[in-house]
This record gives sequence, C-alpha cells and structure tokens, in this order.
Amino acid sequence: MGYDPKNPMEGRITDLGPHPYTDMMPPVIMANKGKWDYHEIVAPGVLLHVGDSGDTCYTVRIGSPRLISIEHVREMCDIADAHCEGFMRFTTRNNAEFMADSKEKCDALIEDLKSRGTKFPIGGTGACVTNIVHTQGWVHCHTPATDASGPVKCVMDDLFEYFGSMSLPAQVRIALACCLNMCGAVHASDIAILGIHRKPPMIDHKRITGVCELPLAVASCPLGAVKPAKTEVDGKEIKTVKVNAERCMFCGNCYTMCPAMPLADPEGDGIAILVGGKVSNRISAPKFSKLIIPFLPNTPPRWPEVTEVIRRILEVYAKDARKYERIGEWAERISWEKFFEKCDIPFTDKSIDDYRLAYDTWHTTAQFKYTNATDAYTK
Amino acid sequence: MAMSLEEVEAAIIAKANKSPKPQLYIKDFYKCDSERKPREIKNIANKLVTKGELMFWSSGSTTMYARPDRIKNEEGDSGVN
Amino acid sequence: MPKHDTPMLDELEKGPWPSFVSDLKRQAETHDECWDILGQMEMSYRDKITHWKHGGIVGVFGYGGGIVGRYSDMPKEFPGVEHFHTVRVAQPSGMYYSTKNLRDLMDLWGKYGSGMTNFHGSTGDLIFLGCRTEALEPLFWDLTHDLKQDLGGSGSNLRTPSCCLGESRCEWSCYDTQDICYALTMHYQDEVHRPAFPYKFKFKFSGCANDCVAAIARSDFAVIGTWKDDIQMDQAAVKEYMAGNYPSNAGAHADGDWGAFDIQKEVIDLCPTECMWMEGDELKIDNSECTRCMHCINVMPRALRPGKEKGATICIGAKAPILDGAQFATLVIPFAKVSKDNNYENIIDYIELIWDWWMEVGKNRERVGETIQRIGLPTFLSVMEVDPIPQHVREPRSNPYIFWKEEEVPGGWERDVDEFRRKHAA
Repeated sequence: MGYDPKNPMEGRITDLGPHPYTDMMPPVIMANKGKWDYHEIVAPGVLLHVGDSGDTCYTVRIGSPRLISIEHVREMCDIADAHCEGFMRFTTRNNAEFMADSKEKCDALIEDLKSRGTKFPIGGTGACVTNIVHTQGWVHCHTPATDASGPVKCVMDDLFEYFGSMSLPAQVRIALACCLNMCGAVHASDIAILGIHRKPPMIDHKRITGVCELPLAVASCPLGAVKPAKTEVDGKEIKTVKVNAERCMFCGNCYTMCPAMPLADPEGDGIAILVGGKVSNRISAPKFSKLIIPFLPNTPPRWPEVTEVIRRILEVYAKDARKYERIGEWAERISWEKFFEKCDIPFTDKSIDDYRLAYDTWHTTAQFKYTNATDAYTK
Repeated sequence: MAMSLEEVEAAIIAKANKSPKPQLYIKDFYKCDSERKPREIKNIANKLVTKGELMFWSSGSTTMYARPDRIKNEEGDSGVN
Repeated sequence: MPKHDTPMLDELEKGPWPSFVSDLKRQAETHDECWDILGQMEMSYRDKITHWKHGGIVGVFGYGGGIVGRYSDMPKEFPGVEHFHTVRVAQPSGMYYSTKNLRDLMDLWGKYGSGMTNFHGSTGDLIFLGCRTEALEPLFWDLTHDLKQDLGGSGSNLRTPSCCLGESRCEWSCYDTQDICYALTMHYQDEVHRPAFPYKFKFKFSGCANDCVAAIARSDFAVIGTWKDDIQMDQAAVKEYMAGNYPSNAGAHADGDWGAFDIQKEVIDLCPTECMWMEGDELKIDNSECTRCMHCINVMPRALRPGKEKGATICIGAKAPILDGAQFATLVIPFAKVSKDNNYENIIDYIELIWDWWMEVGKNRERVGETIQRIGLPTFLSVMEVDPIPQHVREPRSNPYIFWKEEEVPGGWERDVDEFRRKHAA
C-alpha cells in the first residue's frame, strides 16, 4: 500500500522526527562515546581518536561540493561498506568523514579514496582552509545576487593546496551567502563571500494585481521603502506599489512576498567580501566579519576577481600572522589600516558604517598608524 | 464567559474571511480570543489547516495563514497539495 | 546525450576540487531533469541572473514547514525543472548515517525527485533538491511509512535543531549534545512541523566553547558546553608537550614552520585572562580567573581537559544581519545542568519562558534577539526569572537614561503640585 490521493488522510503518519542517532553510529563510536581520552591529527585530513579503553578510531575527512547526486552518495556508501562497517558521517562544514577502527583499515580506506580521481579530496583539518559553507545560488534560489556552487568551486580549486595541508597560522573558515539574507550565515567567517544586489526592485504593474497582496508587499520591506500607489494599465487605473529607491537596502524581501517586484540584474548584482569574523570563543570573543570590498562583478564561469583577492588576503595573512592568530585577531593586532595597506585593498566610503549603530565602528581615539592611506597628509 | 473552542474557530475563520489582507500572521488571530494564550490560538489555527478551513503560505522564512479561496498564486501553484 | 550545450559550466569541470557539474552530468544518465538543471544554470551563467521563482503554498498536508516551493521561470525550455521544490529531511543528531539508511534515502529520492541533494542544508537538514508538487505526498508517505523518518522545519517554525558530534567522538564535549538535540526535537515535533512563532526559532547545541555548530552566531537558543570546577591537568603530559614528544594543538600546525613548541609563548602568553604560569616544571592555573575559552586545552589535549563538573552556558538571540544587523547570542544563563536524568526539564523551562513571552510581544518577522534589543535586556532577564549579574554585560552602560519604575522610587510618582507651589513661587 502507498499514498492514495483519494484518501490523503488515510493511514497518514506524522511527527516521527529524525532517525534515532543511536542506530547511525559505527561500533567503535558507540563503544567509546563519552569515554575518549585524546585525539591527534596524524596527517592532513586524518584524525586519530584514542579511547580510555585503548580503542582507536581513525577518521578520514574528505571535501564535498555539498550539491551532490544520489550516485555520489551511493559511491560514498560503497566506500563506507568496504572499510567502515557501513557507517559514515558529515560535518557542519559539508565535509564527509569515514571512520575506521584500525590503522590498516584506515590505510586501505585512504588508498581507495585516492583511487577515485578528484571526487574525494582528503583534508580539511587543523590550520587549513576547510570546505566552504554556502547557499544555493543560481542552482535553486529565487533571490540570489550570485551563484554559490560555482564561486565555491573556483575558490576551492584555487586554494586547493591549503585544503590538504596545515601550514596556516590558524584555521581559515570561508563562507558564501548568495544574498544578504545570508541563509549561509556568513557574518562570523574569516572570509565571507556575499552576493549583493544594487538595483531596487522593478514593478510589474501589469501582473501585480494578479499575483500580489499589496499590503503584504508593503509590509515586507524592512525599511518601509515600499508604499501603496496607483497607476494606469491599459487605460484603467489600478492599485499598485512604488519603491522609494533611496531607502532600499536591496534585500529582496519584497520579491519573496510579491513576484511582480524582481530586483536581480546582471550589472547590478555581484559580490562583496567581508573578513575577520569567527565563531569560536577561543582566546578572543566571537567576532563579526567586516566589509572590506563592497563590490566585485559577477564574472562566471570562474570569478577570477574573487579568487584573486581571496588568495591575496590569505597569502599576506599566512606570512604575517602569528601562530594561532585568526584573520580577525591578526587584523586587530596590526590595525585595520595596516590590513588594507598590506593586502593592497583600496579603502572606500562603503566600508564606513552608515546604518544603525554605525558609531560603534568609528575611530574615536587619536591613536592610529600611518599607512599609504595617510600619505596625502604626510607627504 | 469564556469562548468555546467552536466559537474561537468561527472567530478565526471570520477574521480570515473579512480581513482586507487575505494572508495573515498568527499574531493577527490572537485577538479572536484574548483570554487564550498565543500557543492555544496557534494550536487552534493549525488544527483548522488540517480541517481544510485555512491553508499555509510560506516565504521559506515566515509562514502565514489564509482561507484557501482567498490565496493568490503564481500560476505554477495549483492551489492544492 | 547532452540535452543542452553548457560551455560555461564545462569550465567548472576543471581543477582539483570535486566538480558538481561532472556530478550533475553523471546523474543525468538516469535522471533526465539534471540536463535541465544544467541547461537552466548555463543560462544563468550567460545572463548573470537567476531563473527561479518562489512558490508559497506547496507543502505536505497539515505541515507548515519542511518544503520550500520553487519553480523555473523558463519551464518551456527546461520542463524537467518546471517544479523544483526543496524537501528538508531531518538529519540524525551528529549527522551520522548508516549506509543502509543513506541508500534507502537515495532510492526514495531517485524514485520521486531530481536525484540531486545537499549534504546538508544551512540549518542542518538533509536536502532533497527538486521535487514536483504531485510527488510530494507520495514521497512523504514512503519517507514516514518505509523509512520511519520525517521532514525538518522551515518558515515560522522551530527549525530542525542541530548539534556538534559531542561526546560521540570528542573528549571535550561537556554534555551529550546528540541526546538533548534528539530529545528536544522529539519533544517539540509539533513546533518543528507547524508554525508557532512570530518568526523562525533555532536551537543549536555545542559541546564546548570551540562551538563547532556555530550556536553563538546562528541560533536563538545556544547551548554551549562548559564546566564549573578546575581544568583537569596531567603534569606528566605537560612535560611531554614541552619536550616535543606530543604534537602541539593535536598536530593542527604540522605543516607550518613554527619551530619548537614554546609553552610560554603558545599557551601562557595567549591565555586571555593571564591565569597560567610555570612553577619550576609544573604548569599552574588560577582556575578562578579562567573564562574557559578552550585555547590551552586545544593546544595540549593530552595534558589538559575540561573539568569534571560539566554543564552548559545558555546564550540567547543570535541571528544573521537582516534587519538591525547581525547579533551574537547574549549570555543569559551562566551555567545549567544538561542531563537526561531530568529529561532536560530545566532546559525546557527556559525555552518555554522565552516562547511564552516572545509569542506575546514579538512583532511579525522579528527574531527573539531583536525583540530583546527592542524591549531591553533587563526586561528579558526578568522574563527569564534570573537576577541581573555583571556577567550579563561586557561593561556597564555609559549613559544614565535609566527607565526607573514607579515602585522603585520612594513615595511613587504621584505628587501634589499645589503643595510644591507653597514652597516654590512660580
């Protein structure tokens, strides 16, 4: 028996919740849960956990594009069946992990992974660039200002050497959100790639009556920039909305409520870069990412402007920062003015906050550093 | 006199019929019986969805309620699920 | 045979990182709609603009979440993606899977959908990407009947709670993140599936202050493991680190040219509270000054461990920037026991205090962190039935604009102006 559209409520089951996690863990994890003694990263992408019992668990971490096919998942299942007693897991950063309970099994697992071309790169541990947390972009979203999977692929291709090694001062977490609603919550990442729109919504007066509830479109605007209005369509007066373009923050919320207000645009849309955020409480408190580049154009298929600037920041950081220092901690130590100079990034008024609570970020001290930006005053 | 469950249901349906905006937030129904806690109103409104009296509309991040015959759609949505 | 030419996307088959384009092409062999995904995406690459439309009313009957409606705006060119709804499937705690379950899920999705997935979505759910409206109910039927699994949350629901892997494979976890995540997800199934709030609400559970699940940045209710006694120390292991016999930071810096491990420079000098020092060859910690940031423990995992009296700090109100700017979660409960012995009743009590208040006073589409900002942290603390303590602020306020309450001022606010005038000429 299956679903019967004539009797949709017949035999319906609801509110089952997720599969119990206790059925999903490999034996070595089940046996040692809560009783782990210590861990070590024995090679890039390979973790060793040792239990109080002396049991060992070798974990091999691999990168994944997150957007993956059922065939790809089935191939991972084949690997887990061959080496890991039929279990695997995923990380919060879209990596996948295979766990084996002995060094021999781990070696065979690694050999197997390496034999499968570029599908399963090993890495993502320690002081590395691990996988990029990202959103849907042009593959699925209705409000994106850029693609997600494509720029992620380009950045990871470019920084690939840092995924499979641990040579950086600390871990570098990169995230991408394809519009400023930030489903990817990039606001606390070492490097954030953020899609932004720069043109206010258009209004399709011919369609708005048919597809929109005007009060909802008006209420959807966070800044009250959408107002009721009247216009003429085919000689008839209709109710519609107007947009106060000066108040628009280009979030696209109106478009979600009202499909007659599209705002995406090939020239208007692009990418902003933010840096210096972190989530962990380690040493310093969590930090927000700061906007350092207000706009880079969308240049599919390889987004060279984006990959170039990210590599530049990463390399300056790698050379200049102290061991354990995250990008934000480094920038604060050397000062943000030095950050812009060292990374050779032009400072613009767009990096000066003029939104709410802006004053918090202004420089209210006579202490500063002379950099190339002050040359106009000193030279 | 406290309102009966049926009375609250009727008040919610009346509100969804009469409101100038066809799609309503849950908060718009709180006043249908101000003696009941928001959670009770929410439970009653959600029950009305399973009875076919209301339906959900979701932006993905927010969810609203509407009478099935008052909801406006993109042509892709058939209006039934 | 390719249905559409994709010269731009083909460029994304180059390079060492796994290619989603190659993967889509592989899947297209059995799922023709993958050609239309590629075709429509190629069009987006050419036009630099999306070709998706939102759909608001698709879902499975009676659930207000779990499905997000999506349609192509070029359905004639790309009929395979005319309907392309997202299905959120609640993930197991810690994102462990048996291959049996994964294969069942993939078979199910191969039968009803496009064959493309996300492992995982931003909230934590497993995502099936691209389902036709008429396939949603049969998919849900098989998911619940055959796989005994369920959808996750979206919209104004409790979003699918998520956690770090916790005690399952981490010696630092201060409570069983997986268990509370599962227990509360089950306890609140109604709130996960049916809208309940002014806006979304998220729980996230991290086992320690490293916060691998980004609870403090991304959840309305962040439970972050901590302890209240002393860091456990093994002086013999400290010596092994100092002698270079154990890799510092568990080997995380192995490929850098950082020289020999220097406990003074790498641990003691980096401690944010300066509460560590060496006495002879013994490491000392003034635990009363420690803020439990995890740095020293991260650097010397075989020598240092969280204390034995473990629990969690609860921080409330994080969110991404829309609308008033990003917020991290604010510390409200410094320490709470997190134990299945009481079925997490103390945690549930905190959650319901927040919900009862927020459902009443929160505006439509206002995250609880914004409600707290709008109404004030002092009011929120009284809602939570906790006394204000210095730990609730980074520093005391610098303006004197206190909203005194009448009952706090002797004699109240009612005064007789005639009485006043008798002593003060106008």
